[in-house]
Amino acid sequence: MSPVTLFSISHTIAAWLLAHISYVFPAPAQGWLTSGNVVLGLTALIFAVILLGASMINTIMLIWWERKLLGRFMDRRGAMHVGFAGLLQNFADGLKLFRKDTVRPGQADELGFWLSPTAYLVSSLVLFAILPISTGWNGGSLPLTLLLALVIFSFAPLFIFLGAWASNNKYSLIGGMRSAAQMIAYEVPILLAVVAVVVLSGSFDLTTIVQEQRNYWFWAPLFLALIVFLTGMLAEMERIPFDLPEAEAELVEGWNTEYGGMLFAFFMLADYVRYMVGSILVVLLFLGGWTLPSYIPTILTSFPLAGIVWFMVKVYLVFGVFVWVRASLPRMRTDQLLKLGWMRMVPLALLSVVLAALVVAAHCLPLIGCVPSMGG
Amino acid sequence: MGPQHPMTHGLWNLRVRIEGEVIKDVEPEMGFLHRGIEKISEDRHYNEIITLMDRTCYVAGLNWEHLFIVAAEQALHIEPPERAEYIRVLSAELQRIASHLMWYAAFCQDLGLTTPFLYGMRDRDLILDLFQSYTGARLTYEYMRVGGVRNDLPLGFTDRCRKVVDWLMDRFVEYDRLCLSSTIFNERCNGLGVLLAPEAVAYGVTGPMLRSAGSHRDIRKDRPYSVYNKLQFEVATANTADVTGRYLVRMEEMRQAVKISRQCLDWLDDNPGPVMASQLPRWLGAPYAPVGNEAYLLKRNYPTGLGFSMMEEPHGEAGAYIVNDGGEHPYRVKFRSPVLINIWAAKRYLPGYRVADIPPIMGSVDVCVGECDR
Repeated sequence: MSPVTLFSISHTIAAWLLAHISYVFPAPAQGWLTSGNVVLGLTALIFAVILLGASMINTIMLIWWERKLLGRFMDRRGAMHVGFAGLLQNFADGLKLFRKDTVRPGQADELGFWLSPTAYLVSSLVLFAILPISTGWNGGSLPLTLLLALVIFSFAPLFIFLGAWASNNKYSLIGGMRSAAQMIAYEVPILLAVVAVVVLSGSFDLTTIVQEQRNYWFWAPLFLALIVFLTGMLAEMERIPFDLPEAEAELVEGWNTEYGGMLFAFFMLADYVRYMVGSILVVLLFLGGWTLPSYIPTILTSFPLAGIVWFMVKVYLVFGVFVWVRASLPRMRTDQLLKLGWMRMVPLALLSVVLAALVVAAHCLPLIGCVPSMGG
Repeated sequence: MGPQHPMTHGLWNLRVRIEGEVIKDVEPEMGFLHRGIEKISEDRHYNEIITLMDRTCYVAGLNWEHLFIVAAEQALHIEPPERAEYIRVLSAELQRIASHLMWYAAFCQDLGLTTPFLYGMRDRDLILDLFQSYTGARLTYEYMRVGGVRNDLPLGFTDRCRKVVDWLMDRFVEYDRLCLSSTIFNERCNGLGVLLAPEAVAYGVTGPMLRSAGSHRDIRKDRPYSVYNKLQFEVATANTADVTGRYLVRMEEMRQAVKISRQCLDWLDDNPGPVMASQLPRWLGAPYAPVGNEAYLLKRNYPTGLGFSMMEEPHGEAGAYIVNDGGEHPYRVKFRSPVLINIWAAKRYLPGYRVADIPPIMGSVDVCVGECDR
């Protein structure tokens, strides 16, 4: 029996649906409807819908997780009233935002104002299609998934700046500029930290990277790179020590000052999608993805969908670390932030690349040509 | 920036001229919250003005009540009983802690530290609970009266209060750990908004801002009012004259306030007695007139007088000047707001820093617009 994958599930659903629908059509159409290509097309559609639904629900659960965790850090209970332990609170909030009127300032540029939140959300959601959740549970498997993910991830400053500029508000514009400067400054250390992982794993494919971690997870040899990556991700996500673009105290709400109602919800959702993607990347690159160390009893790893369960547990724990940071650190200043990025993070990242190379070299000494299957 | 801006903590406007991110010049604009309290006071009975005092500074209501009461008693030649004085000092010190906690919460929020915001508000609530138990209100107390205080402390209050201040002393350690041990906090606050002592004096800046520059000026020591000369405490100072210094001064002031409160509580336990003067003019304020003291004095026989009080309010030195020309209303009331003057000195301590520094610097001033605009 082949393992259950998201693709096989969608394929079964599509074939079943088409087989039943085709009864009502005349014979020639029936044949066409049940042909392989049509089934495949519907499979892709169902696949996308499932993926989108799962990502959205997970993203909203991430908001719940942050609210609860942050509440505990702050000695309160977080959302409690809608649903069990406030589980449905964010759905209620979303509904409220959905019903709100969307106000566009008279001075704002129409196209940019509407385009920015949409593009921001869509470009963030696309990432879910290429990130593997477990074996067989990803949309597309490309040899360069990691590179593609990082490229799409760095689209954001463009759209943020677009929205900020289109809003025609001084606070928005300053926030947008800060956001762009910050994201560009932190792209570099992130990429370098990723290079360290790539050196160690010998692949740009996330599935391969996870498989390469079967002997040890990469955080152990690449602890430095993990630190750099986490810090860089915090900056990319614009979370609290680095949330200058929306620094509430001086810039009101930063680049999304003028956005309200559903457009704000788009930004908010996209932000959380990015938090999720950031956490997923950390888990994939450094924490062994959906695998568990071999000393864990098999009963914990062999139940159905165990990979996905453990993966999500790890993702939520990593995000918990981000929440922890948010609960305990103040905000930095722009110049301090850029200084930290260029003068501390980049050298550290370079050092971690060197370390990764040394680890690979140490493995290679006894046997020649061991990369990428080192240790084995 | 303002009047509707998260940095302002109230309604005021800060005009900032910048060059890039660097502040060149600032111009505070005040008056958005002006309610004419001084003018309204001329039309009210003395005890009715207390209501206004709570609204003057909404985070330090009891301090302002105290300020007004001391000046009014001086103008009206009334001597309050000692127990009332101790209760007032206790209230004022608890209010100082509450006000500083509020400041701590808001200041950390400005820095992006969200957890201390909740911690500060949580612990301030304990003090508000205490206030509620003997004044009946949490924010606008209307508790002090010309000639004493409205009512004595309830049974078991002192023990409850001791428990709260003990808890607070532990929390102060936690606060320091959250802020001072954070590298980012130090990087953001050290050397920020420096206002040296001579300049502070020249501008008339008072309170924690002045003491953070190494000055020992504290009216509770220099010109003791109420029973402060009978209490042991030290003046909190720092030498750095920057935002961190102001933080340290306020933290130490809270500890000293706990020390003063404990002494007051001990004294109050040992010395029961009346909390209202026995001879009071009945016309002090019709709805709020002290009940039970029938030997009231007639208005036409009442002597005129001037009352002046200076007080170390949580934000700085507050002053009240009251002219009593023999009528049932004061002839003129004038207040000195420390915050107004502290804000005006922004022209001196803001330029040269960055736009992102405005929230922490103005946060460290502890702005209370209600008192500023009156």
